[in-house]
Amino acid sequence: MVSIDLKKHIESYVAKYTIKQLIVIPLVVLLIASSVLLWTYVNTGSPAKLGVDFKGGTIITINTQDTPEFLKAKFSEYNIIGAREWGNRKMLQFENTTRDKYSELLDKVKKEYGEDVEIKHMSEIVSVSAQKQAIKAVLIAFIGMAVVVFLIFRTIVPSIAIVLSAFSDIVIAMAFMNIVGIKLTFGTVAALLMLIGYSVDSDILLTNRLLKRKGPIKEKIIKAMETGLTMTMTTLAALSVLFIVSTYSYMVSEFSRIDILTDISVVLIFGLTADLMNTWALNAGILRLYMEKKQQKRRNKT
Amino acid sequence: MTNGLLKDIRIIVFLIAIFASLIAIAIYPPPPEGKNTNLKFGLDLEGGSWLQLKLIGSIVQIDVDRDKIIAYQFSELLNDSIDITNSELNSISFTTTSPHSKDEIKKFANSLGYTTNTVSQKGNLKNVTLYELNSDEIIRSYLEKRLSAEVKPIRWNNRPAYEIRSNITKEKLINILEPVGGRIKHDSKGNLLFEERVTKETLDSTKDILSDKLNVLGLKEIPIRTVGSEYILIDLAGVDITTAESIVSKPGKFEIRIQTEKNETAHVLYGDNIERVGIPLQDNEGVWGVGFTLNKEGAKKLRDAAIKYGAVDNPELHELSMYLDNRLVYSAPLAPELAKNIKKVPVTDMVARTGTGEEGRARAKELQIHLSAGALPVQVEVIGSGQVSAALGAMFREQTAIAGILALLAVSLVVYLRYHQKKILLPMLFTSLSEVVMILGFASIIGWQLDLPSIAGIIAVIGTGIDHLVIITDEVLYEGRLPPTRIYLSRISKAFAIIFAAATTTIIAMSPLLIMGFGVLKGFAIIAIVGVLIGVFIARPAYGRVIKEVLSEK
Repeated sequence: MVSIDLKKHIESYVAKYTIKQLIVIPLVVLLIASSVLLWTYVNTGSPAKLGVDFKGGTIITINTQDTPEFLKAKFSEYNIIGAREWGNRKMLQFENTTRDKYSELLDKVKKEYGEDVEIKHMSEIVSVSAQKQAIKAVLIAFIGMAVVVFLIFRTIVPSIAIVLSAFSDIVIAMAFMNIVGIKLTFGTVAALLMLIGYSVDSDILLTNRLLKRKGPIKEKIIKAMETGLTMTMTTLAALSVLFIVSTYSYMVSEFSRIDILTDISVVLIFGLTADLMNTWALNAGILRLYMEKKQQKRRNKT
Repeated sequence: MTNGLLKDIRIIVFLIAIFASLIAIAIYPPPPEGKNTNLKFGLDLEGGSWLQLKLIGSIVQIDVDRDKIIAYQFSELLNDSIDITNSELNSISFTTTSPHSKDEIKKFANSLGYTTNTVSQKGNLKNVTLYELNSDEIIRSYLEKRLSAEVKPIRWNNRPAYEIRSNITKEKLINILEPVGGRIKHDSKGNLLFEERVTKETLDSTKDILSDKLNVLGLKEIPIRTVGSEYILIDLAGVDITTAESIVSKPGKFEIRIQTEKNETAHVLYGDNIERVGIPLQDNEGVWGVGFTLNKEGAKKLRDAAIKYGAVDNPELHELSMYLDNRLVYSAPLAPELAKNIKKVPVTDMVARTGTGEEGRARAKELQIHLSAGALPVQVEVIGSGQVSAALGAMFREQTAIAGILALLAVSLVVYLRYHQKKILLPMLFTSLSEVVMILGFASIIGWQLDLPSIAGIIAVIGTGIDHLVIITDEVLYEGRLPPTRIYLSRISKAFAIIFAAATTTIIAMSPLLIMGFGVLKGFAIIAIVGVLIGVFIARPAYGRVIKEVLSEK
């Protein structure tokens, strides 16, 4: 049985890097991620590519042996913009057309592919208001979280460190979404909101241990990392399973892909991985700096 | 050892919660036929379709002068100009040089609804005075006639406003307000007080009527949710999408209107005044028709309208038209005897004639369907829809269950790698599992429909749950071994301080989803929040107690 000596690895990590390295590297990553988002925003009008939920359109998945090329040609008069393999099935994506054309499309699909079809349709009206609501939701959640953090710790620098770490998690997760091609859907918005809640857990643990316990700083960080890494690893394990089952299980079974679960798990995996860096390097670094400065002030006073 | 454990209040609460959940899930109330549990599943996991409906209408605040409306109305009818001589709250006087006789002018005034009036003549000048005026009603009825739509007075932000129950654009409204010097009001920021949505009351009553309609068709317990103040979301489990769309769009807005002048019509009554609809029948002359019966209120409305707009005297010029979703489906004058009878008393039994031959029969059948359609106060438009087949739903159920089990196993692996002790792993696993059971129990009790986002929420709860258990364990073992009892208790409270903080941020992060409308993600938010609460207040305290016992036996 492979046993991982977690503690040793943590101790060497804490000893190795200077505070400057701990803070600067994550900030650089944050900068890169922000520019990715900016680039996407300039090119498409929103920081992440919009899925059907937010752009409007129709997505239909069917059980058929027909090839995507064949399907694309077959449905060409219905504004089809894509046909691809999707697990054991095929997925067709359409832009919105008139009501009558849409009913026609549904009838045609029903007639040829029977009852085993999955359909999702969103009109533009809903999509635009949904976009606004999504932005509002993320903003409100983020601000609410920041307020709670400030109320708990009541000191400025540590609270800012936590909020900055959470912010960076989200930005990096969204940047990865853009790079890898994951679109903004209801599922990914839910994942981003969950990320706000999750990512703060490890930061709160770290800050609580550092501020409210006694002992040498490095010792406290090491102990906090032991707990914190375990926490993040367990969550990552659960999410990885979710990701594999919802994305790849079709290869070994009759199961199909479940996009909403894939979306949620991927975004969270990216975000939590970024959280490892943002909590135990950026946040930890800022806290170390803060506490060392406080200690110096006390020494200078006496 | 165990006696102390079982007496602890946390353990007692925990055990009660688990048993209650298991009972709620599988035993009481007894699961419905054909199912093993009381768990209800949403569309994604059971198959069916969903529809998102937009209610068509607008609300607006208007600034307009009643006098200008009256002047405009009369000058149009008389083809001559009007000079207002006196204007009071409840009355108005004006003069005109129009050649129309006094009686004609009186008739015009009646037809416009100003039934209390006097007309006198002095030389060339006719002097008209209208009494018992209700300014709001005048404005409202002007809007209604000109827009050919139902206009309802409402209060918006505590100011008088109107709800226009039809697809009216801002431009069209401005067009009919212009001739009478009216305009749409602005708010303090300069925005036009015109919004394309209906009032909450209208939204709710449409939702109720739809609910009744669906129940009548044998579809019970259809979740109909309102999304924000604009949309209605309907989940029809077990129904395919084309059937769903036709069921929902069939309860059309049925209206009978009467022709007032040339191209204008006035509202008479809605489908809810129709008590019974007969089957298509042919009469002695081979003319097809559909009989229908109005209720007392409807009969009175019809008679009042027929008299007011002159249909009793001149049926040909004042046809009755029937509209379904603002589309004309039938138009005919009152038959001569009907016109005569209705003058004396309200008539409830009517026949709408559709013509002879095959065409007449077909049209009669169509008309029967239209007449039977219930009355929604407004038209609805299907703006979003989706369908999951039952087979697919069942597969998703299996798939997510397997995902959940595998996730627990993966998590156990990580926990074991960290602690290397079965003693810690087993209680953690059990606590996690029990949290899931309790969430499912809660879902069963409130009848919550589990959908894919809810399942994602459950897996998230497993994740956070284990996180918190790790925090507790590490706090207790801070010095590498179990501390004496009093220190143990203080450690536990320190751990809980962190846990409470973390739980609060999770709840705050999920709250926007509860209130905002995606509709779809509400389940996810509820499960996540309820899961966190169950964990923090029931499962984790119990774990804290158990772990002490487990670790202290060496």
